[in-house]
Amino acid sequence: MVAARRPVVMASVMVAAFVALTACGGGGTSSTSNHVLVVDKSFDMKTADPQREFEVSGGIVAKALYSTLLTFKGSDSATPVPAVASSYTASSDAKIYTFKLRTDIKFSDGTPLTSADVVFSFNRLINIKGNPSFLLDGVTVSAPDASTVVLTSKSANPAIPFIIPNPALGIVNSKVVKAHGGTDQPGADKSDQAENFLNVTSAGSGAYTLKSFSTTSEVDLTANPSYWGPKPFYNTVVVRNIQAPAQLIDIQKGSNEIALDLSPDQASTLGSGSLQVKTPPGPNVFFLFSNNNAKISSTTPNKHFQNAIRYGLDYASIVQLAGAGAIQTPGVVPSMFLGALPQSAAVQRDLTKAKAELAASGIANPTVNLGFPSDFTLNGISFSTLAQKVQANLTEVGIKVNLTGSPISTALADYRAGTEQLGLWLWGPDYPDPNDYLVFLPGQLVGLRAGWAAGADPSLEALGVQAGSTTDNATRKQLYQQIQTKLNTEGPFFPLIQPGQVVVATKGVTGADYNPTWTLDVSGAGG
Amino acid sequence: MTSAAPAASHEPKPGRRLRLPSRPFLRFLGRRLAALILLGLGITFVAFVLTELVPGDPAAANLGQRAIADPAAVRAFREHYGLDKPLPVQYALYLEHLVTGDLGQSEQSHRPVKTDLSEFVPATAELAVTSILIAFVLGITLGVVAAVRRNRLTDQVLRVISLGGISMPTFWLALVALYVFFFKLGWVPGSGRLDPGVLPAPHVTGLYTVDALLAGQFDVLSTALQHLILPASVLAAYNVGLLTRFTRSAVLEVINNDYVQAARAKGLPERTIVLRHVLRAALPPIITVGGLAFANVMTGTVLVESIFAWPGIGQYAFHSATTLDLPAIMGVSLFVAIVYIVVNFFVDVLYGVVDPRIRVA
Repeated sequence: MVAARRPVVMASVMVAAFVALTACGGGGTSSTSNHVLVVDKSFDMKTADPQREFEVSGGIVAKALYSTLLTFKGSDSATPVPAVASSYTASSDAKIYTFKLRTDIKFSDGTPLTSADVVFSFNRLINIKGNPSFLLDGVTVSAPDASTVVLTSKSANPAIPFIIPNPALGIVNSKVVKAHGGTDQPGADKSDQAENFLNVTSAGSGAYTLKSFSTTSEVDLTANPSYWGPKPFYNTVVVRNIQAPAQLIDIQKGSNEIALDLSPDQASTLGSGSLQVKTPPGPNVFFLFSNNNAKISSTTPNKHFQNAIRYGLDYASIVQLAGAGAIQTPGVVPSMFLGALPQSAAVQRDLTKAKAELAASGIANPTVNLGFPSDFTLNGISFSTLAQKVQANLTEVGIKVNLTGSPISTALADYRAGTEQLGLWLWGPDYPDPNDYLVFLPGQLVGLRAGWAAGADPSLEALGVQAGSTTDNATRKQLYQQIQTKLNTEGPFFPLIQPGQVVVATKGVTGADYNPTWTLDVSGAGG
Repeated sequence: MTSAAPAASHEPKPGRRLRLPSRPFLRFLGRRLAALILLGLGITFVAFVLTELVPGDPAAANLGQRAIADPAAVRAFREHYGLDKPLPVQYALYLEHLVTGDLGQSEQSHRPVKTDLSEFVPATAELAVTSILIAFVLGITLGVVAAVRRNRLTDQVLRVISLGGISMPTFWLALVALYVFFFKLGWVPGSGRLDPGVLPAPHVTGLYTVDALLAGQFDVLSTALQHLILPASVLAAYNVGLLTRFTRSAVLEVINNDYVQAARAKGLPERTIVLRHVLRAALPPIITVGGLAFANVMTGTVLVESIFAWPGIGQYAFHSATTLDLPAIMGVSLFVAIVYIVVNFFVDVLYGVVDPRIRVA
């Protein structure tokens, strides 16, 4: 009988030990107090190497770890302000930018930051040939002295001051990175070996240093004692990989927390009592296109058919579907950037006109396929749901739409190959400047995906060239508005919505502002 | 190894032979090992071919919207991951590297797949082992109780409970459990393996609880256990239901056998009869189901991992599949194959342990 009782005794001891151990923990959120900020984000994290990252979560981390020459304040993305550079000048042709550096900035290990570090970081970005390398396409970097950096662009590039604040252009400690296998020389795509080191130890001069890094669980940051800027309020920041449903529970339960992935619908369930819910229109532009390439479809390039779609879409109901914070986007440039069209210029639904355009097209009972990423949801909007809405709208016009969505990994290939008849996609800004939206013109990146080849609209293309090289902001604004007005009448694109960008923070957290360039600057958060 | 050799001496005593594994057992081991190699080879081939058949492009899935339009960036990506080589060459190279234990580099994490697996597998293993222990203890206990009290109220209630465990979708149960036990009652912490900002103990096994125990970091152990209990329980719910039903059925098969009646006639206490005579005879089918349940848990935790932000193999597999990360897909496929073969091997061995007839055969 003694033997029979032994397992029972053992089990009792184990249960007692477990209870004792779990009881001494003192609750799950004890460590989040006392100047610890917890940010919940669904990770797309790949790396903590600033010159390789170009993901949303990677941007949050790189922004905290690395300083840039220029930056933006809070949620603003219209006015670049000095950071490591105390000032900068641009040549009148927008080809040469000269940055004067502050001389009092040190990296977290105490090494002074000089122009050599900037040159190394920027050349490394270019030569690694990674996702963010395009930011400095056609740009050469030089340093006439220890506190001056000169960027020379092959062609006029008025967007450079808006590109420089991107966390991918964060300045690394060149000596440390070189010592750990980093290189900025041509061939760095094969020879640079510093990524593993930078995933363990940061080498920057940002407000924080890297304490631990995981692409799947969490990234821990600790305040940089050598930081040259205002000391951040939170001495520890934890960025956690949490999916939206759990974020919704966490944010209501926790303290000192920020949730970044709630949908407008989820946000609308939160009371305003102990939480701050912000839903400003985000910078992502969701759009539909009708392929202009006759080899892909004989129907979709027809201008009357395209107009039938343009006037047949029920924009108001699509905005309603997108939830709180969403607005109809009048053009492809989002509302917060220079050159955006005013809301009054937005296309409105006119079913009679749409049917008349369809009749004028001479195409009876058209049937077209709509490609979209069926498994993709952004800003709480499922592309599958949006595609069904488009299908229903166009059925009312007399256009039969077959939904041919597929998982994003395969849908992307069709979209990028320009083989979709109709396509439902989005464009997120690479940098907050209208130059980033010239991709919608004929012969450009997105234009080609809609079968719009170079030479298809010479006057529009000429406008694009002019807008891309003009330096005066007032003139640029005018040119971009002109381009979008023409796109809205002659182009194969139908801009739909800018969904709301939800940021939820507990009441005690200040400065939880969304910025299109880095999503969230944790060093700006206060308590 | 039932040798009675004292601990101080490894020398066999004169007149007693050291018991070596029998020849049939070695043959059995050999067959399993060969199966493992052949299956592994087959799995890599199937995974490779299927991934190639998907009408997608790993470069398109991994490079950004601008980089994909830059031929230099695309070329660098393809060269780096060997995608510029013909398919048979890619496969041959993969096998060549596999022999040396090199599973390639993940296109998502930029790390060796072996490193990724060594991080994610322990996380899932910790969850799966805890979950299956809960499932075995509760499932077998409840199953036996249900069988012994068959057709009484206890049995009816347990049938409903087990049916509920099997029927409830895991993702829904996970969300409800998180809401009730974390948000409403505050009995357990929220998502993740540890509290925010708490670092794991130095890596030895990758099991946070074990590593914390080895390092004597009891605060970390406490946090790890608190975080473990809810996802493990959620994951166990289905298997508790399954094992309860199987145990009940298996026990009922043998509970009225002659030898059991004989034991009763000899006056043995009912508890001894059930535990020693009935349950042991009922164990083989329970072991079969339990083994498969463990393999399923090891390889099918993606939803629970996602909801509880548990960085395990399920999430890794999901992200690898959605981004056409071929080296990672191959690594995960191999891992799944090995899990099933190893689990089946142990199930076969356990048959022999619990049923001497199988051992003799």
